[in-house]
Amino acid sequence: MMRLAWLILRKDLTVEVRSGEIAYTTLFFAVTCVLVFAFALVREGRAPEDGAAGILWIAVVFAGNLALGRAFERERQAETLRALLMAPAPRTAVYLGKLLGVIALLVGAEIVLVPLIALLFQARLLAHLWWMIAILAAGTTGFAAVGTLFAAMLVRARSRDVLLPVLLYPITVPVIIAGVRGTAALLQPELEVGVVRFWLALLITFDVVFVTLSLWTFESVMTD
Amino acid sequence: MTVLTRTFGVVLVTLLCAAAPLHAAQNVPPPSQPTPTGQAPPQQSEYVPISQLPPQDQLPAARLLIAAYSFVLVVFFLYVVSLARRLTSVQRDVDRLGASLKQSGKP
Amino acid sequence: MPKWFVPAAVVCGVMFAFSPLVIASADYESTMGLVQKIFYYHMPSAWMFLLSGIVCGIASVRFLTTGDPRHDRTAWAAAEMAVIFGVVTLVTGPLWARRAWGTFWVWDARTTSSLVQWMVAWAYLILRRYGGPGSDKLAAGLALFGVANVGFIYVSVNYWRTIHPATTVVPKLPFSMGFPLWYCVAAFTLLFVILLQMRVRLEEQRATLDTLYLSLDEQR
Repeated sequence: MMRLAWLILRKDLTVEVRSGEIAYTTLFFAVTCVLVFAFALVREGRAPEDGAAGILWIAVVFAGNLALGRAFERERQAETLRALLMAPAPRTAVYLGKLLGVIALLVGAEIVLVPLIALLFQARLLAHLWWMIAILAAGTTGFAAVGTLFAAMLVRARSRDVLLPVLLYPITVPVIIAGVRGTAALLQPELEVGVVRFWLALLITFDVVFVTLSLWTFESVMTD
Repeated sequence: MTVLTRTFGVVLVTLLCAAAPLHAAQNVPPPSQPTPTGQAPPQQSEYVPISQLPPQDQLPAARLLIAAYSFVLVVFFLYVVSLARRLTSVQRDVDRLGASLKQSGKP
Repeated sequence: MPKWFVPAAVVCGVMFAFSPLVIASADYESTMGLVQKIFYYHMPSAWMFLLSGIVCGIASVRFLTTGDPRHDRTAWAAAEMAVIFGVVTLVTGPLWARRAWGTFWVWDARTTSSLVQWMVAWAYLILRRYGGPGSDKLAAGLALFGVANVGFIYVSVNYWRTIHPATTVVPKLPFSMGFPLWYCVAAFTLLFVILLQMRVRLEEQRATLDTLYLSLDEQR
């Protein structure tokens, strides 16, 4: 099954590397987002306290929304999603492959976003690099797990572009809260490991539950 | 008049009944507030006099309490009205369609 | 409508009619005074809000596993109940807090989770309204995640500084305050059941209407 998921991931990445459509648009959008916040919030070189944490996650979530919408749009236009689902492969492999693709895209965006925000907001995001990576990875996984499921389910719905954020944001609010709080804890002058560890543990629990639920729901919803 | 409409009538009337004494209970005027003509509602003697509360607590608290309870009533009332309207209109369509189905089925 | 509906509606109406008297007879709370009486409507409606979320989640799971549209109708109705009882909870709460805490809103775990659950209920209804064909299963998936969420934010209660009264308040209530509370809980539960039944009935009639249209088409 992992091999099948890997094949789907490789297929998506190959298409993406050739065209770059989603990657570039998503990245450009995320950077624009950060710049708008920088114009609005940074006064005389001073950024609001803890602002960087919120802005980082807003940028990630907006970019994720865009990427998720596009990730399945391509399959829909080419009518290939049906083919994927009809292939003699477990549905969960299809889901996992798509999920990994979305995560890969978001990680790419984050690699650019974190240094950019650290620079523009003078936030010490890179000071505790491993904690930062752990929180970002856990948060991105949780967000993408729900996002991939909803984007897949919405493929045939009317007005899916509008519905995706409407459904996705309320459900992922806890992940975003945990991500923002965890990141904000990293920005404190003195690192409180206990606080960071709590939010990280919460994020990981979310990931486990969301991925399990998504696998089950994907299996039973994508039946026809 | 279907059974349905009558049931909603019952629900609405009962809810309206609920509204009346509630308003009476809410509008117990705190003594600090000048009552317009001096007469108090007869039920008032049943309540614990409000002067037992700390004086600064009286007015804002009473206003918030009234706001809260009337909001609850208004929400439920409007919801029941909207539900009843939706139900009667669907019921009407069902009846109409059933009748026309029977008519067209017979010949 | 089932046979119990009209008597239940009458009992519910009478209970609500007498609830102000019962609430007025309750003792004042020592630190919060008069405004604490919002409690007798706030907490029952908050419980019904939670209950409707749970009903929606369970019905959605059963719909996903069995595919029986009856469960789907229950889930839809419960989601609408969640919006209604949610707005009651979320408005009476701040009105109480304005006096008790000095502010309308505090971002603590319980208020946040209530707000999130309310937003999920709205998302559910929006999806049903605008999702088009196939949105029933989608909405069931959404409800599933919504329920998982609510459990989760409750975990973070312990780690989040909160000024919302703990649930231990309820069993410790003296009779003079406990009786009005449980009276209101009973009234709200009855109201919940009645409204849910009405809403399910609406969905059933809509389904009947659809089948009628279909058979009319077939005749032509």
